[in-house]
Amino acid sequence: MRTNQDRVMTRPTGRFAALARHAAVLGACAALACLPLPASAQVRMTVPPQSERIALRGATIHTVTNGVIENGTIVFNNGVITAIGADVEIPAGTRVVDVSGKHIYPGLIDAYSTVGIAEIGAVDMSNDVNEVGDFNPNVHADVAVNAESRHIGTSRSQGVLTTLTTPGGGLISGMSSAMALEGWSWEEMTMESAAALNVNWPNPNPRARRFGGFGGQDDANPPTYEERVQQLKNYFAEARAYRDAVAAGERVRSDARYMSMIPALNREIPVVVSADGAAQINDAITWAKEENLRLVIRGGDDAIHVADRLVAEDVPVILTSTMDAPGRDDEGYDEAYRRAAKLYEAGVKFAISGGAGSLYTDRLPYEAGVAVAFGLPEEEAIKAVTINAAELMGLEDRIGSLETGKQATLLITTGTPINMTSDIEQAYIQGRELDMNDIQKHFFMKYMEKLHQRMRIIS
Amino acid sequence: MKATISALSLSLLLAAGLGAQQATRTQPVEGIRDNGTGYHALVGARAVTSPGQAIDDATIVIRNGLIQSVQRGASPPAGARVWDLTGLTVYPGFVDAHADLGMDDVPEGGDVGPTHWNPQVRAWFSTTANLRDDQDRRRALRSQGFGTALVVPKQGIFRGTASVVNLGDAGVRDRVLRPDVAQSLGFQRSFELGGRYPNSSMGTIALIKQTFMDAEWYKRAWGAYESSGRSFLPPETSAALGALEASVEGRQPVIFETRSEEEYLRSQALAAKFGLTAWYRGSGEEYRIIDVLRESSDPLFVPLSFPDAPDVDDPEAALNASLADLRHWYLAPTNPGQLADAGIEFAITSDGLTSVGDFLPNLRTAVARGLAPDAALAAITTTPARYLGIDRTHGTIEAGKVANLVVAQGDLFTQDADIRDVWVQGVVYGVTRPAQIDPRGTWVVQSDEQWGFRAQLVLEGTLNRLAGWIDIAPGPNNAQGVRVDLESATVVTETGRLEVRFDGEELGYEGMALLAGAVTGDDFYGWTSLPNGANPSFRGSRTAPFEGDEVGTVAADVPEIDLPFIRPAMAFGVRALPRQPDAVIVRNATVWTQGAQGRLENADVLIRRGRIAEVGTGLDAPRGAVEIDGTGKHVTPGLIDPHIHSGVSDVNETGATIVPEVYMGDVITHNNVWMYRQLAGGLTTAMIKHGSANPIGGENVIVKMRWGSLPEQLKLEGGSRTVKFALGENPKRCCYEGRYPDTRMGTQEIIRDHFLAARDYEREWQEWEATGEGLPPRRDLRMEAILDILNQELLISSHGYRADEFLALIRLAEEFGFKVQTLQHAVEAYKIAPELAASGVAAAVWSDWGAFKMEAYDATKYNARILMEAGVTVSLHSDNQQIASRMNWEAGKLLRTGLTEEQALTTVTLNAAKVLAIDDRVGSLEAGKDADFVVWNGDPLSQFTRAEQTWVDGRRYFSLEEDAALREQVENERRQLIQAVLAASGNDRRARTAASGRN
Repeated sequence: MRTNQDRVMTRPTGRFAALARHAAVLGACAALACLPLPASAQVRMTVPPQSERIALRGATIHTVTNGVIENGTIVFNNGVITAIGADVEIPAGTRVVDVSGKHIYPGLIDAYSTVGIAEIGAVDMSNDVNEVGDFNPNVHADVAVNAESRHIGTSRSQGVLTTLTTPGGGLISGMSSAMALEGWSWEEMTMESAAALNVNWPNPNPRARRFGGFGGQDDANPPTYEERVQQLKNYFAEARAYRDAVAAGERVRSDARYMSMIPALNREIPVVVSADGAAQINDAITWAKEENLRLVIRGGDDAIHVADRLVAEDVPVILTSTMDAPGRDDEGYDEAYRRAAKLYEAGVKFAISGGAGSLYTDRLPYEAGVAVAFGLPEEEAIKAVTINAAELMGLEDRIGSLETGKQATLLITTGTPINMTSDIEQAYIQGRELDMNDIQKHFFMKYMEKLHQRMRIIS
Repeated sequence: MKATISALSLSLLLAAGLGAQQATRTQPVEGIRDNGTGYHALVGARAVTSPGQAIDDATIVIRNGLIQSVQRGASPPAGARVWDLTGLTVYPGFVDAHADLGMDDVPEGGDVGPTHWNPQVRAWFSTTANLRDDQDRRRALRSQGFGTALVVPKQGIFRGTASVVNLGDAGVRDRVLRPDVAQSLGFQRSFELGGRYPNSSMGTIALIKQTFMDAEWYKRAWGAYESSGRSFLPPETSAALGALEASVEGRQPVIFETRSEEEYLRSQALAAKFGLTAWYRGSGEEYRIIDVLRESSDPLFVPLSFPDAPDVDDPEAALNASLADLRHWYLAPTNPGQLADAGIEFAITSDGLTSVGDFLPNLRTAVARGLAPDAALAAITTTPARYLGIDRTHGTIEAGKVANLVVAQGDLFTQDADIRDVWVQGVVYGVTRPAQIDPRGTWVVQSDEQWGFRAQLVLEGTLNRLAGWIDIAPGPNNAQGVRVDLESATVVTETGRLEVRFDGEELGYEGMALLAGAVTGDDFYGWTSLPNGANPSFRGSRTAPFEGDEVGTVAADVPEIDLPFIRPAMAFGVRALPRQPDAVIVRNATVWTQGAQGRLENADVLIRRGRIAEVGTGLDAPRGAVEIDGTGKHVTPGLIDPHIHSGVSDVNETGATIVPEVYMGDVITHNNVWMYRQLAGGLTTAMIKHGSANPIGGENVIVKMRWGSLPEQLKLEGGSRTVKFALGENPKRCCYEGRYPDTRMGTQEIIRDHFLAARDYEREWQEWEATGEGLPPRRDLRMEAILDILNQELLISSHGYRADEFLALIRLAEEFGFKVQTLQHAVEAYKIAPELAASGVAAAVWSDWGAFKMEAYDATKYNARILMEAGVTVSLHSDNQQIASRMNWEAGKLLRTGLTEEQALTTVTLNAAKVLAIDDRVGSLEAGKDADFVVWNGDPLSQFTRAEQTWVDGRRYFSLEEDAALREQVENERRQLIQAVLAASGNDRRARTAASGRN
């Protein structure tokens, strides 16, 4: 068991000891000379599974699904919440952590991320997002997740504990995997390998594309919108035929791609369709209805123009751009900021995801927070990055809210996690008390040490 | 347009040409001479002799190419060929002040000789020396009534000299009226000419400046060489610089061809800087800068290029149509009328039209949309004639003037009237022929028995735009009667034959059915051409005549919509700048001064005439001060972003590696909706930066968010001068194969080499100034900019990521005895924080950007924190137009790295001002500083807070109430304009059907 002293030194959380240290640096360095920074403490350590019962006591608990519990206690064991409430009996042998004055929230869920499969934007070799070809329903994101990715630590530091890591490209991009952001390998992190099948709805205005970069060949006659939609329909029809043939006991040659689509065809997992324009969304709904799929729209820039139908057909939306530019010059400056509030008022169910994919999953709290500034009730914004995301992805029995029987994947904060005015101090994933270090804090510690060394020389 | 095709096909010489006098022509005549009398009398027409002056039943006598007399009702003189023009109208021949006769194609292999090092500088090109026989374009212009034109070269940036020519069919030696009267300048390079530099709008302006300066030097240098007794080697030879001498001395006008109202303003600035005699070819957007044009009397040639209507065919398309496009579509045809109403003089040119044949139709549209017919006539006759210096000979119908005339079958400006003939220097060219018959009315048509076709044919419209339909009775091919709109109805003019086409589908044919025949009185005999190849004959008779004008009147085809002037001409544009109250007081707010007073609760801020007067509690305000209740609100200084790229026409000049001579301030565009959005997020000042393609890029410009102002008024007066440097990946990978540098090592060396070059340049000047010996040196804008850098007058604002490259640049600067002002992006600045502190280098960093490329991989959110701990002046920056509109939230993110609230806010206020070296003006709420402030509905660092008001210079440029009103205005205008487009496209479809009735 680490001491409190260790915790301060090895887990620089939020505004850790900030002001005191600040004054000291600008004054004399005597107080800093003794800041020990063992090299081993500078990296994000993976911790073992929960091995003792833990009770967090005295916090304001935001269950999300069952209201707010003042001065509450939450008990979890083997990674699962066993009790939660204002008046909870704590079994003997429980490690009790006093978190009075703090807040507890479920861990945030990014319903659209590439954490683990994309590392450095412009370095192709560090990215495993887009497989070649139009139809890749059989690729699963989890097997390519790099458990050592720097973005895992930085995302956790901002409260994101679960991602729907999602492949891209083509018409059918592949399977999103639900990943818990803690574990020695992807295998340990994977919650659902096939959480959702991803479809990119065709662009109604296809433009001639240039292949092979600048100076490459033009595809002067790209397929039309209708042709692309037809390709998609045909692919699903073939997959359905394959499923039915197998079910009927026909001897067919195996097809890895059709095979992987069966859970989606059977409505066991959602089909997430990336679509922003009103016509795209409308056509996607029509198609999904014909195919009898569990549709989720992702993107949804113009979803408000299709709101009535989204409500009537019970189609939820993953908003990807609440902090983006307005799509059109004539729209208000706050068009994107207001999208969530408008959908909420219209009765559309939605989650909010990080717009920029892998590198900026750590901005997820702000993507939700901005909607609050522009009219979305705060509790709805929290839902949009917790329980709603979990429900859209079929994870609601495990995460997304704080309830008995659900995983102890949660945050200890000084306030709402979706506003920068409060800090995220500690996180638990499936009951594991995380090492809150990340690469950015590592560089902070290392170069503060440089500063201290220079200060010593000067003094 | 159909009309053009028709005109071209009929453009023919109707009378024998007038041979030049025997004694004055240089070319001997081969064969038999061809001598018409050149003596004509045009009688019976209404002659519009000049704008506002007309003579009915005029007799115009032409002799030897000149007008001999113009008199009402006079008998034609004996011996003159008499032209009976009764019922027709005669105008003075039109003058096109900016015509493209397409004669300056780039020769294969490029230009030869010592012209100019830059192939885009073709100032030496003479349209007179290169005049070519360009029959098609000349005829096209003539068919629109033009007899004279300024022919302007179009290739390159400096394009050469324009000449006044007549548009007759005489040989090239008989066409020039005034050779090489003006130099032509454009802002767009010609790719055919080759060369890499410049490839941006600011690079183009830099080249223009340098070239005018070089032209001035060129003359001096050759002068010094000659006057020295040729005691040293001569300067270089440049035909282009030599050709510019008259322009830089103001003797030869420079015509700027502008493509937007911004280019007009840029041209004006260049003309003022170099004392040029400026002419302008407008863009059609002049109505947006009427206030500017009112102050100028420089010649202006306005085009009639009206945009197509935006696509609003379905709701999503309509959603995507911008108010800017909708407005311009509606207002462009009112441009000439608005200018005339404002008392601005201008000529109208055919230049800029997709087809010259659109000229008269568009001119009529302009008239229907508010331009008085007399003003229209003046703009194509007397005004351009005066501009071009030919008003003593051209522009009116007067005795003694050149016989350039337009004969029309009606009022050319208000009616859909055809031009019958055009006279150029006493030679007549036919344009269209009148219809020989009038087939309009209702006809019964019946075929022979075999086909069994019976129909009623209705022809209506004007004689030159027939339209109609055909009602086909039930027959063997159609069980029921059908009505088909005619595809076309044409009278073949010379023979009086009528041809009617309609779609054969209803009769079961794939293709057009044609009825062709001769009309005599009320009889119509002919034969049919069916898609199946059959040719049954038919016979028709007129059962009812048609009553209508021979020539239609042109009316506006859009509804009246009240579209007030707004600037910029797009969504959220404003009718006027917000006023600056004498005094403003914000009361009882939480005031973040970011100055010595710190953060004050329940405090007041007093503003006097655009400046902060006082901050404190319980302040007195002068009577009449504008009061803002700040209860529950927070007030901060206006936010400052030291790094944006929005609001300029281009970002990178990649045509050369080192380009500090280019200046972003030359290419600011005020038509930039981001400025409004940034204001809405509390931003009041920003530096617009050159891109990162060059180790030494261009000079940046600091602007204030004065939404509704023109570009020049956006600049922060007296702001510091900064130049973009770029290190690392971007300058390495940029531009083209083989460009130096390709490593960080090379980047360092190319910068060093240019520092050394500037020192050499400085020494050469000093030596020459001391001795006056040898060739006078030329002023080199690039070298002078680098000297300014070395002298720390042009402050370095360097893009980069890695610690090593920054350290290298800082040490290089120190080697040359100066310091780097700011590192931008500076992702690894934290790694050299003590070094930066020691060297006094500031940094502008991101809150949480990183890992988007290799050199950004070591990004940490703690960057600003570490730098601040080390004592480095650190601010945030966006490098992104959207993030620039919410810098308070960027600052808020720093709270999670341990900064205090005031430290966090200073990164987007006072420290950002320090980074830009403008903290004497802005960045904090302290007495004497600019009254740039924001009223927030809560803690400005909270994600849940938004700006309610943004003030710049003590003027309220943004408020939620005003924003709501502007949104309503946008919606209101959009709704009306979309309806107008739909209505007009309906008109268009009808017009197309009707227009196709013409051959």
